[in-house]
Amino acid sequence: MSSDAKPSSKKKEGFLRRQAKSKTDVVSEEELLKKDIISPDDVLRLGRSTEKYLCPPEANVYGIDFTRFKLRDIESNQVLFEVAKPPHSYELEENEEPDLPEPEEDPNSGRFVRYQFTPQFLKLKTVGATVEFVVGDKPVNKFRMIEKHYFRDRVLKCFDFEFGFCIPHSRNTVEHIYEFPKLSDDMIEEMMEHPYETRSDSFYFVEDRLIMHNKADYAYNGGAPQS
Amino acid sequence: MGLLTILKKMKQKEKEVRLLMLGLDNAGKTTILKKFNGEDIDTISPTLGFNIKTLEHRGFKLNIWDVGGQKSLRSYWRNYFESTDALIWVVDSADRMRLNDCKKELHALLVEERLAGATLLVFANKQDLPGSLTAKEIREALDLDSIKTHHWLIQDCSAVTGDNLLNGMDWVVNDIASRIFTMD
Repeated sequence: MSSDAKPSSKKKEGFLRRQAKSKTDVVSEEELLKKDIISPDDVLRLGRSTEKYLCPPEANVYGIDFTRFKLRDIESNQVLFEVAKPPHSYELEENEEPDLPEPEEDPNSGRFVRYQFTPQFLKLKTVGATVEFVVGDKPVNKFRMIEKHYFRDRVLKCFDFEFGFCIPHSRNTVEHIYEFPKLSDDMIEEMMEHPYETRSDSFYFVEDRLIMHNKADYAYNGGAPQS
Repeated sequence: MGLLTILKKMKQKEKEVRLLMLGLDNAGKTTILKKFNGEDIDTISPTLGFNIKTLEHRGFKLNIWDVGGQKSLRSYWRNYFESTDALIWVVDSADRMRLNDCKKELHALLVEERLAGATLLVFANKQDLPGSLTAKEIREALDLDSIKTHHWLIQDCSAVTGDNLLNGMDWVVNDIASRIFTMD
């Protein structure tokens, strides 16, 4: 298999390469921490969530800032959760639903979010996840997100999406509408009983270099009674 | 992983299609995008960048890009042409004053090399507004009949009521499918 993909055919070759690598050579967090530049292929080969961050906050020299996150249930078109960031502080917009999750911001780092969901959350079928972000005064080329969700060391879901070019000073949104991974009852039980062992790593790249790394963990034992 | 599995996966990957939605500012691009996806449309502000939706529709993974149409943003449109399977050109059918601008911008896109293979859907939007021009009138005003380089269709619609949005999208997906996925 060719490893020197030409730009014109990179889409297909890159895909093949990823498929091959993800099955064969898993990479460890320790190995990646030694590298100066971390690429999309590197993080695609990670087999579990990381303990540390794979880049410092200063790596984001593009002023990319996530300003909104929203989750909706497509079947009922109900907003399940929405958090927006005004210029200087966090503001929570909650709706009246009793089973709203509550994010708790880690005081030491804006890079970590803890979510508390109810068990019902694991039974959703189709959800739409929207993020909104702003870009600083430089144009951004080949902006790409890779987000991996794990329960312990099992990958539940991996998003890999290339936004491409971002206009300087722009405000952009992306909504991924997707089928929630089908989970067995045993799995759901396990995930409920082990809060915060469901984790995600979000990696952001500009021109194939890691520039942001955010983390989250999740609990599904929220006890809000159903009315 | 066997070769068959890889081929199958590649095929799935290739069922991804990229739709690029452009048009003058205030044409209703974002409203169409949101309405099509069952979202509320009461609080839509001008797009100062892009809005992307990725969704499954009839077995295809649609990646829809709505890029802001303000004059200052139009020079950036070309950054989004690559790999576009269809161009969706949205027209405010009630904006008679800017029809000529609208025509010029559209025809400028049609000579772009990177959009050469793309299907063209023109949405004659805002049919719910009194005084809006019909699809036939828009077709003439934009001189669509002179287009020989692209498969095209004009569809009257209303993003606010949702009328005919699905018809337009279905035509786009069918046209792309017949062009690209005939091997299936």
